[in-house]
Amino acid sequence: MLTEFGKVLLFLIVGAMFVAGGLIASWILRPNRPYPAKLSSYECGEEPVGNAWVRFNVRFYVIALIFLIFDVEVVFLFPWALVYRELGLFAFLEMAVFLAILLVGLAYVWVKGDLDWDKPVPQIPKIERDRPAYKQQTPAEPVAV
Amino acid sequence: MVEQLLQSLSRFLPETTLTVALCSTVVVSLFLGRKSQATLFVALAGLVLATWFSFDQMGVSETIFSGMVAVDPFSVFFKLLVGLSAILILLFSLYSSEVQSTLHRAGEYSALILAMALGMFLMAGASNLLMMVLAIELTSLSSYILAGYTREASDSSEASLKYIIYGAVSTGVMLYGISILYGLTGATDFYGINRALTEESVNSVALLVSIIMILVGFGYKISAVPFHFWTPDVYEGAPITITAFLSVASKAAGFALMMRFFKVSFIDANAVGLPTGVWTSLQGFEWNKIVAILSVLTMTLGNLVAVWQNNLKRLLAYSSIAHAGYMLMGVVVLSDKGLAAVLIYFMVYLFMNLGAFYVVMLVANKTGSEDIDSYKGLGHRSPLVSVAMVIFFISLAGLPPTAGFIGKLFLFAALLDATWIWLAVVGALNSVVSLYYYVRVVRNMFLRDPEGNAEPILFSTPQLAIVMLLLLPTLFFGLFYSPMVELANASVMMFGIR
Amino acid sequence: MAQEFIQWLSHPGLNHFLIISGILFSFGIFAVLTRRNAILVLMGIELILNAANINFIAFSRYGTGTLDGQVIAIFVIILAAAEAAIALAIVLNIYQNFNTVNVDELNQLRD
Repeated sequence: MLTEFGKVLLFLIVGAMFVAGGLIASWILRPNRPYPAKLSSYECGEEPVGNAWVRFNVRFYVIALIFLIFDVEVVFLFPWALVYRELGLFAFLEMAVFLAILLVGLAYVWVKGDLDWDKPVPQIPKIERDRPAYKQQTPAEPVAV
Repeated sequence: MVEQLLQSLSRFLPETTLTVALCSTVVVSLFLGRKSQATLFVALAGLVLATWFSFDQMGVSETIFSGMVAVDPFSVFFKLLVGLSAILILLFSLYSSEVQSTLHRAGEYSALILAMALGMFLMAGASNLLMMVLAIELTSLSSYILAGYTREASDSSEASLKYIIYGAVSTGVMLYGISILYGLTGATDFYGINRALTEESVNSVALLVSIIMILVGFGYKISAVPFHFWTPDVYEGAPITITAFLSVASKAAGFALMMRFFKVSFIDANAVGLPTGVWTSLQGFEWNKIVAILSVLTMTLGNLVAVWQNNLKRLLAYSSIAHAGYMLMGVVVLSDKGLAAVLIYFMVYLFMNLGAFYVVMLVANKTGSEDIDSYKGLGHRSPLVSVAMVIFFISLAGLPPTAGFIGKLFLFAALLDATWIWLAVVGALNSVVSLYYYVRVVRNMFLRDPEGNAEPILFSTPQLAIVMLLLLPTLFFGLFYSPMVELANASVMMFGIR
Repeated sequence: MAQEFIQWLSHPGLNHFLIISGILFSFGIFAVLTRRNAILVLMGIELILNAANINFIAFSRYGTGTLDGQVIAIFVIILAAAEAAIALAIVLNIYQNFNTVNVDELNQLRD
């Protein structure tokens, strides 16, 4: 009676109904008494610090961009693998040229230092307070980890 | 299968050369010192070789890689044009302060110029929808980066963002149009589309929608109104060498692809009773009327807005939009005469437009400004370069005895021949308007006293030699134009078209 | 009526895919025209490209019977990735120069 796609459709409809049903039921049943502590985002019982939208280090983006390009190129390997048996050595050489060109790109990125992940120098907190006179000496230099 | 591919590879030599040169510039830039011009010379050598190999292909007419790319006189002509302008751009780069001050990234610069040239070589030959998209994208992606090449300058990075947003949207729309065309005809190569349209009639509304969507992509590439919004900003913000390259080579490749796509896909091979060199389009689908409207809009807006510009790069940007409009007039005429006129115009345009941009670059190197006011009194400070600039401008305006006049003459002759009188009148009126803003610059150079610094500006001998290299053809072809016309007439031949 | 609609939905054919791709394309154009954030505009562009992809694959499956459409789709995926990579790099550069990714606030270059 139902085709395979029909079952998928039925599944989707039932799933959507479950989500909507839960939300609507809670919306009808729950009392509405908001106060600041309730509206703040939940961080395991701690006071939330700062905004939920944290800015990521720019290096993540650079690595992600490089990954994106080299990752997607793999798509070309699939159709190539399908016809490999028919074309034999020629196909192998062709793909070798393709990968060599990609490798030139990777080498360029590597040598130019875009893959380096230079560690941030840790800021060791310095506490400003009056010390007893006998302890007034220069503190040891913070050591980079 | 393999033999066929190897056979095709031997006809693919110019493109292969460019690819090898591209990889070697990248490798060379890894091993060389940071302040080296070597990569520019490697790129130059690669381009000269590739241009030479395309010159070798003259007279060949076939398609390679099972109909992906056509090697025929038409594509060879545009490969030579692109190769020549890329060589000139690399020569400019040797004297451009923008490039010379960022020599540590010269490797990227030359590799991207080569990638752009490769994309344009493929655009000149592409005879398959997939190849068409890939070639356009290869050219565009490289030019997005090059437009923002001086990345510390905020106007340069703004230019590249605007460029990539407009470019990506228009290629997206174009791809959607292509997908509809593929659905209608079931073919991806131009010849297959032509066969499918000849054999059975398709839904004309769907065909119209898909062609308009594809025209968005072409219109963006050749900066035709109303898809031109990126042009002035990108031309102003990008380094001058790149602006010059975009305005000539990118536009030429876009025209080549557009003319091949329309002529091969929509020509009616069974039409009878037509004089030689004239053709009609399939199924009464009059795409050339759409192009005529685009052409009028493009040249009128380009010329009218150029009148108000005070930055010379921006002025030349609008003037190049207007020139795209003139050249579209040639595409409107469904005859070999019209196409030959476009080819002639491109040969002329190469020299005069690159020349104008080169002079702007030289002056900007010395004065640090592209403002029209900084040209006041330039005629007294640097007479030779100023006279050259005047000649380039006269040629751009289309007055005799320069080559620009010959270009316009053949365009209007083709139009009148095909009785597109009103379009020819609009074109002629536009030329008059264009005269105004070119003369404005000339007046500033010769009839105004210099503001502030009035010391003579001196240029080195090689710099002046490049000016001469561009100036002499502009004058020479204005008087002895027959070799140019013969080359154009021989080059309108596309593979598989009578 | 409802019965017919469900019947139509459960037997997907070319039209279903064309409608989906048309909707995606319109969403993409809408995003490009209304969003001011450069990243969101880029997302709209991705939608347009994927709409075209759906068309290619649907036509290849239901229309011609050749694999050309599917091959084009593979190339379009690569193309979208390359375009996204370059666009994001340019946006990063814009952020460093202007401290904003709002397209409307970039107006150094204008008539």
